[in-house]
Amino acid sequence: MSVAAAINTRDASALPGKRDEDWRWTDLRGLIRAIPDPSEPFAGDVGRGPFDGLAEDRRVLVNGGETRIDVAAGQKAVVALRVLARGAGSHATMVAVTLGPNARVRLLESYESDGGSVSQTTLSITLADGAVLERVVLAQDHEHAVSVSQAEVRLAPRADYAQTVAASGARRQRLETRVTHPGGHAVLRLDGVYLLAGKRHSDQTTVVTHQNIDGTTAQLTKGVVRDQARGVFQGRIVVAEGADRTDARMGHHALILSDRAEVDAKPELEIYADDVSCAHGNTVGALDEDALFYARQRGMPAGVATAMLTEAFIGEVIDRISFEGARDVVRAWAAERLGG
Amino acid sequence: MAAVTQTVEHVASLEKYKHGFVTDIEQDFAPKGLSADIVRFISAKKNEPEWMLEWRLGAFERWLAMEEPDWAKVSFPRIDYQDSYYYAAPSKKAGLASLDEVDPDILETYKKLGIPLREQEVLAGVMGAPRYAVDAVFDSVSVVTTFKKELAEVGVIFCSMSEAIREHPELVKQYLGTVVPVSDNYFACLNAAVFSDGSFVYVPPGVRCPMELSTYFRINAENSGQFERTLIIADKGAYVSYLEGCTAPMRDENQLHAAVVELVTLDDAEIKYSTVQNWYPGDPETGKGGIYNFVTKRADCRGDRSKVSWTQVETGSSITWKYPSCVLRGDGSSGEFYSIAITNGRQQADTGTKMIHLGKDTRSRIISKGISAGKSSNTYRGLVSAHPKATGARNFTQCDSLLIGKHSAAHTVPYIEARNGHAKFEHEATTTRLSEDQLFYVMQRGLSQEEAVQLLVNGFVKDVLQELPMEFAVEAQKLVAISLEGSVG
Repeated sequence: MSVAAAINTRDASALPGKRDEDWRWTDLRGLIRAIPDPSEPFAGDVGRGPFDGLAEDRRVLVNGGETRIDVAAGQKAVVALRVLARGAGSHATMVAVTLGPNARVRLLESYESDGGSVSQTTLSITLADGAVLERVVLAQDHEHAVSVSQAEVRLAPRADYAQTVAASGARRQRLETRVTHPGGHAVLRLDGVYLLAGKRHSDQTTVVTHQNIDGTTAQLTKGVVRDQARGVFQGRIVVAEGADRTDARMGHHALILSDRAEVDAKPELEIYADDVSCAHGNTVGALDEDALFYARQRGMPAGVATAMLTEAFIGEVIDRISFEGARDVVRAWAAERLGG
Repeated sequence: MAAVTQTVEHVASLEKYKHGFVTDIEQDFAPKGLSADIVRFISAKKNEPEWMLEWRLGAFERWLAMEEPDWAKVSFPRIDYQDSYYYAAPSKKAGLASLDEVDPDILETYKKLGIPLREQEVLAGVMGAPRYAVDAVFDSVSVVTTFKKELAEVGVIFCSMSEAIREHPELVKQYLGTVVPVSDNYFACLNAAVFSDGSFVYVPPGVRCPMELSTYFRINAENSGQFERTLIIADKGAYVSYLEGCTAPMRDENQLHAAVVELVTLDDAEIKYSTVQNWYPGDPETGKGGIYNFVTKRADCRGDRSKVSWTQVETGSSITWKYPSCVLRGDGSSGEFYSIAITNGRQQADTGTKMIHLGKDTRSRIISKGISAGKSSNTYRGLVSAHPKATGARNFTQCDSLLIGKHSAAHTVPYIEARNGHAKFEHEATTTRLSEDQLFYVMQRGLSQEEAVQLLVNGFVKDVLQELPMEFAVEAQKLVAISLEGSVG
């Protein structure tokens, strides 16, 4: 059962829990006894979104609803999409994004909530031949919120899809991306950053299915957790039989900055073709003591040295965002979280 | 010329699974099927004390309430647990005074398999050659254990499990089921109810076991399962190296092998456990027959600074489902896992390890080499976890997969759970096929394609092979070659 269906039918027993392999570290069934009442429509002022200054097309969805973003063949667009939860109700949101052949789009997506809401967003993203999409997601949920975003991405040959998800966690937060990769020289980049503090949880899950020859996937996710926060990364790359000459790389690296924080990771490769080159790397650990010592020896207070080193660690992912305006927004978001 | 002869012989021997013969001997069977009565029958057959029977019946009861797990990346028709014999033993009495009383057919079987059961045969070898003691398990019972006297002189107990239950009940009671609890999982629970035999090793404090110990498992009877249970205890400061080998005849039906291995190391002790698993893999074309190898192996590093090293070469079985694990409880304890898993034909393997860091400054190292050829599927599944108290925990994992052929599959599913800020985990994995350049290079120098593949594969698995004890390494290298027979071209 999907999270959306559980919310729509208000059946908490239909929520995925730790016995579901894909949700083992993001247990919703154990957490939510009863789905809250449906969220009330919201008519007040929603203020400005993080990407408002960068986009001409601005969409705002508060407490559910639907929107379609269609960009015709050869057209260019920058779209800011805000998905908001106001109050402590439950709701599901639907977004459809369609790019015609050779369309070029920057989709700047943000999630904001202000209380203990339970929300789910379904995105259906389709790229036609030669289309280019860069998706930047900034998830700034409330510490009491339960927020799930699930994107289904379908690419055509020669499409170019790049994504960076930046998350600061929530009571439970899940940002999931499933990509059907047709090969055919389509290019995919799936990146993520999570910076968690307090008791926040954030889960970044990706599944990429290479269905045909000549596909490329590059994935890099980095996270920093402190206090009692919990970061989760699940990445799966599937190479179907016959999808030869696939080149897929996945990396996940996390820093744990406190005694009680936790990082769970499952980088998976599922390969059914032999002429492939696939690799993944995963590291979890504390900041390099030597680097810290070096910085402090030069008169830097411990807090500043830690901030500087973690910023450099995360910076590698943020630098991969090609849209400069969005990159600056994400960098400022990261600096604000790491500065303390 | 010698090399040519050897190649010819080698190729001839490659033609089929060479341990696929059946030994025609008189055997005792329990009635087919599984019930509390069968459990009683097995216990009675082995003259077990009352407490052991209670233990078995308790396990059986719990097993009835459990469900067969299905999370592994393997697929097979549902097992009918009533359609199998749970006890099969050579008719002549086990636990003999001397080898002369063992059924000559059984001795012949082990001779064919190349396992030296006669101590003098071992001794007749080259002076200074490594010696090893063998416990030979034929279907449900241990038929012979060699070198017992010599081992007893230094205080090492090496005997069959049934003998240990009779002779050393205090040790068995103290440790049995403490590493793999009765209801740990479906197959371990089944094993606890019906386990028939296996090896028992106890190495007293400060003793370095003077020779390698080994157990050789052979499934012979038709329609029977094998459920052996092994328990190895290395007391403070002790060291033992243990080898395990397995084969079975070629049969059309699937046979279940659900073993449990428990290792315990106390302070400063070390156990090195090596396995060469070569159960019948089933027909390469149709996938018919073969052993279902569903095994639970776990080590409990209870003592500080203790160490367990698992090395496995998995080439046989139609389905392999096993995860030799280490619970690193003692401060400064360490665990190692070196694995070569080769699948060919229609074999399926889902294997890996679990390293559970509970103590401070615990270390673990995982090197896994998976090779899949033909229409087989090979999955590495592993868990590395650090408890909040396991400060200074350190893990390094490397998983490499090699694909040979268009229809083979290789998967890597690592789970990493870090629950403290002072643990350091590193994991890397690659999946590739044999390099065409390397193949070309080697073949250009006159090697056939088959030989070239063998050479490159042996290079690929070298990191693990060098962890095996000498005699095993040679056997394993040959096995690697045999397993890949017919995978190219």
